[in-house]
Amino acid sequence: MAHYKILGKDPYWMNFYGLMILTLIEVAAVGMDLTETAANIGYTEKELTLFILVAIGLPKFIMIAAIFMHLWGDEDSKILTLTALFPSFFIIVMILFIGLTHPEATTGLPEWCRPGFYT
Amino acid sequence: MSDHDEHHHPSAWGPHDWTHGAPHNSWSPLIMSMGFGIFLFMLAEAFTNGVFNAGYVPLVFVGLFVSLVGLIIWWRQDMSFDGTYEPMATGAPFKNIQIRKVAIWVFLMSEMMVFTSLFSTYIRYRTGIENCQTVFERGDWMQQGYTLETGEALICFEPASHLIASSMWHIAPGAINTFALIISSFTIVQALRWAKKPFGTIDEEVRRKRVFRYLGSTWILAIIFLILKMTEWFIGFYVPEIEILGIHEHHIHSLYAEGYLINADHYHHHDWVDEATGATMLADISVSASTFYVTTGTHGVHVAGGIIGLTYMTFKAWTGGYTPKNAVSIEYFGLYWHFVDLVWVLVFPFFYLY
Repeated sequence: MAHYKILGKDPYWMNFYGLMILTLIEVAAVGMDLTETAANIGYTEKELTLFILVAIGLPKFIMIAAIFMHLWGDEDSKILTLTALFPSFFIIVMILFIGLTHPEATTGLPEWCRPGFYT
Repeated sequence: MSDHDEHHHPSAWGPHDWTHGAPHNSWSPLIMSMGFGIFLFMLAEAFTNGVFNAGYVPLVFVGLFVSLVGLIIWWRQDMSFDGTYEPMATGAPFKNIQIRKVAIWVFLMSEMMVFTSLFSTYIRYRTGIENCQTVFERGDWMQQGYTLETGEALICFEPASHLIASSMWHIAPGAINTFALIISSFTIVQALRWAKKPFGTIDEEVRRKRVFRYLGSTWILAIIFLILKMTEWFIGFYVPEIEILGIHEHHIHSLYAEGYLINADHYHHHDWVDEATGATMLADISVSASTFYVTTGTHGVHVAGGIIGLTYMTFKAWTGGYTPKNAVSIEYFGLYWHFVDLVWVLVFPFFYLY
């Protein structure tokens, strides 16, 4: 259990309030028409929405892991955080080399990288 | 065998005497694994190549039954667990940390890999296949003959958000689910907090009621999550006329009714009609629909698994089974449940909103 306070208040309640507010912003960002705002800063509405969603999703992710899952502020938080981060290497490999490979990777790669090149 | 030995080797099938250590002779993990194995293999056989084969259905239920038997054995053994025996790790780097806690984190690591593979697949297809709406707006699909009239379908990526994020009503089930999961993460932490309050600081009946209510609330929120998911996928809902709020009577169609199916190779969105010619664009969206249903479905299965665990835990809480000595069991389940919430934090924006 948490042995600390956030702004002098119970950390679980504060985390809960924070998550609710961030989720409301998330839903509002999708519901609102951001076409004009996006155009003013040189982006499309979809790009701006994605930026907002990622910018809100990351702190939400950290808030749940750090406070609700006790990865911060407990005696064993450090080693358990390292344990939780262990798959990060594989996650980065998967995101980079599968998720973000060039769309034409299967046809655009050098011949020696493609299936069927066995000689 | 003497009475003493019998005491040290309790039945592998029944309630366990925890004063003599962990039930290493329990059959439940083996039985459950076998049951899940039978269930999954037979389910796959029942739907091979999209063709339903009813002959495998009884074996699907055999798998479920075997799993249930394993679960019942496990629950019978855990019901007597009062925290008397909580094994601690003795070696580095987890020295003096409960072995069960380390184990659940190792399990969550494997879960991270499962969801990462689903997410990287999604990102790969989302960036690699042209968006259907972009193709429609460009307009060259008519010259290429991808119309309802020709029956030729263009392979493109149609994110589910095109339907789900089209109005606040459409997004309502997903948005409510997001709040339900966040609230349920909070209620399970509260259950842990009340279970952990030291003996003598609160009345034991108050502890029993609070832990039961908070776990029960988590169970209800999880059920709401699945009901809303089914509503969104298969049922849809009716919005009545509320004149004072300017809301007109209409029906929100389910994804199923919209034709957004896992094997939708001849799909047309109701907006994909060319005003000048009246032609409708036809698309093969099976890749995008698959990534949506497999990812959100895998998450849904995790919620369903959580409901099974919560059902038992709520019952145990009702019997007053949780005290400061064994409250960590709620914490370990909570870690799984927070993980399910954590995954939804990413699934919701990427699959429902964007």
